[in-house]
Amino acid sequence: MKRIAAIIGGALRMWFRSKSTLFWTLAFPILLMLLFGAIFSVSQDPRFDLYVQNQDIIDNETTQFSDMFIEMLNETGVLNLKMVDPAENATKYIDVVGAERMLIIPKGFHQSCLTQNASVILKMVPPEVDTSSATVRSVVYQRVEYFNIVTTGVITPVVVTIESESIVSESYSFIDFFVPGLIGMSLMTTGIFGAVGWNTRNRELGILKKLATTPLSKFEWILGVVLYEVVMGAISTGVILTIGVLLFDLRVLPNIYSVILIFAGAIAFPGMGMVVARFVKESDSADAAANAITFPMMFLSGSFFPLEMMPDFLREIAKVLPLTYLNNGLRDSMVYGNVSSALFNTVIVLAVGIFFIILGSLITNWRED
Amino acid sequence: MTMSKEVVINVDSLVKKYGSLAAVNGVSFTVNRGEVFSFVGPNGAGKTTTVEILVCLRGLTAGKATVLGFDVADRKGQQQIRKRVGVLPQDFNTFDLLTVKENLSYYKKMYGHGMDIGELIRLVDLEDKTKTLYKNLSGGLKKRLAIAIALVNDPEVIFLDEPTTGLDPKARRDVWDLIEGLREQEKTIFLTTHYMDEAEVLSDRVVIISYGKIIGDGTPSDLILKHGGNTTLIVEEGGEAAHELLRKTFPDARLENGDVLVPLNGKSDLPEAVMMLNGNKAKYAELIVRRPNLEDVFLNLTGKKIVEGELH
Repeated sequence: MKRIAAIIGGALRMWFRSKSTLFWTLAFPILLMLLFGAIFSVSQDPRFDLYVQNQDIIDNETTQFSDMFIEMLNETGVLNLKMVDPAENATKYIDVVGAERMLIIPKGFHQSCLTQNASVILKMVPPEVDTSSATVRSVVYQRVEYFNIVTTGVITPVVVTIESESIVSESYSFIDFFVPGLIGMSLMTTGIFGAVGWNTRNRELGILKKLATTPLSKFEWILGVVLYEVVMGAISTGVILTIGVLLFDLRVLPNIYSVILIFAGAIAFPGMGMVVARFVKESDSADAAANAITFPMMFLSGSFFPLEMMPDFLREIAKVLPLTYLNNGLRDSMVYGNVSSALFNTVIVLAVGIFFIILGSLITNWRED
Repeated sequence: MTMSKEVVINVDSLVKKYGSLAAVNGVSFTVNRGEVFSFVGPNGAGKTTTVEILVCLRGLTAGKATVLGFDVADRKGQQQIRKRVGVLPQDFNTFDLLTVKENLSYYKKMYGHGMDIGELIRLVDLEDKTKTLYKNLSGGLKKRLAIAIALVNDPEVIFLDEPTTGLDPKARRDVWDLIEGLREQEKTIFLTTHYMDEAEVLSDRVVIISYGKIIGDGTPSDLILKHGGNTTLIVEEGGEAAHELLRKTFPDARLENGDVLVPLNGKSDLPEAVMMLNGNKAKYAELIVRRPNLEDVFLNLTGKKIVEGELH
């Protein structure tokens, strides 16, 4: 334990003395917050997920008007409809899958259409904090009007109305949804760049070879480096939250679930970095190798914009990226208050972290063959 | 100096192969407690590979090696060896942004025991640099700190792999003084070098390795006596005239870059050669008598010289 403490203490001391590293560790997340916060708060994309639960069933068959309405939604090409089993509890389902918007066609919809007082329920993250929701809502409104025309032949009276419900209990701003993604990205870049750079540089200086002649084990070294990066991750997260609160009126703050998730992320990415470092021979190529891993992950894991804006094949790729689960988990715990989904994502990120630490320990070239 | 004959390193028919290439090919030697042992040879001869096997950084292909009685191929033996030896790896640099004292403390914590840091700093004469960052030290001082790091666990055997490579003459001399100081403390020192003068000055015993095989083993004086050849008279700037004159009596005399080199076989050779030159009023700049050294030993054993670590 003293050896691991020495590794962490020494690394922290060096970090503090390296003015450029110190500056960039603190400035990088702040710059990203300022830049991306401004850019992505107004961005849009034509295709969005919408969970649809059709509860209007008679004799095990969906009704004619409910089917027609769903078909009209589908025709737009803008919405990616995901049908939900009518037996599911909608609120719980939203929590479990982390859905950001769901349309519920209530039981009796068909009958209500005939008496011109039907309604559907649209549950979603408020449009003022998620620009995608605003688009989805306007598409659904437009389809409702079209449905009215088709079913009655006139624009008024309206036979279908929308009862909007927010799936977020408090009123948040865009920055509240952006910050969890920024924390995830920051943990990833700090962890991977830190571990790859630290290992390759120390190998080049002969420090790893020297340490390998001492009683220090390979596992202790890796654990020391990973835990140092956990401290760095905690510092980055602290900076992001502080700036968020001071400059952007940030309202979401980490709870116990997000703290566990941040720890899981903070060990997963350095663990991954230790594996990458095994294949990087010179410190000159360390940044390139780290960039090759972090850049795609940064943009494919929903750090800055919703995954549903991406083509299907990229969404499939996102499913295998640990940052996706870290981002989803952080939003679940910090924004949506969805504990079960946050825990699920925590388990995945933690498992990834343990896997990479073990893999790194096995393949790191500590002593020569 | 009285010296015990306890063997602390025993290498028997050691082989290390990389594919079909044998970097170390059947090497055997012993090192006694308290001696300064030099492992000498050109770059690529197998010196570092042998050291790295002895300090458990590298596995061996065949043969056997023990350090302080522990088998280098045995896992438990390796743990004991790591605790009890100190190593200065070739081309080692330590943490740039830690001070002298912090660097020493860092490595001491890896062992959990060792020398008092203040005492160690005094030993390597870095007292006025205690709070200086490693990156701000000169090359010579960096090397002194690196040697101190190798001593931090108060080791019984110290491996110094090319400790003076790349240093200026003054810094080299400082490192030599440091090694002399360690010898006085009766530490066992395993030194690898391609500098023959360094081995000759510092060592109690020298083993010469070339192409993975040992070609010479003994004290520097024994090796020189056995393989060093004759004392040579150098007639500086003697030219063709002096060469022709001396060849009449000394047929082995040869001309090199304007100087005439005359191997001296007997006690009377030197006065005879001088008398010939002066009696015939031969022109020359200076007369120098050069005794054989380890460079001559290597030249006579291999037919080649080592220049900056490379064979020529």
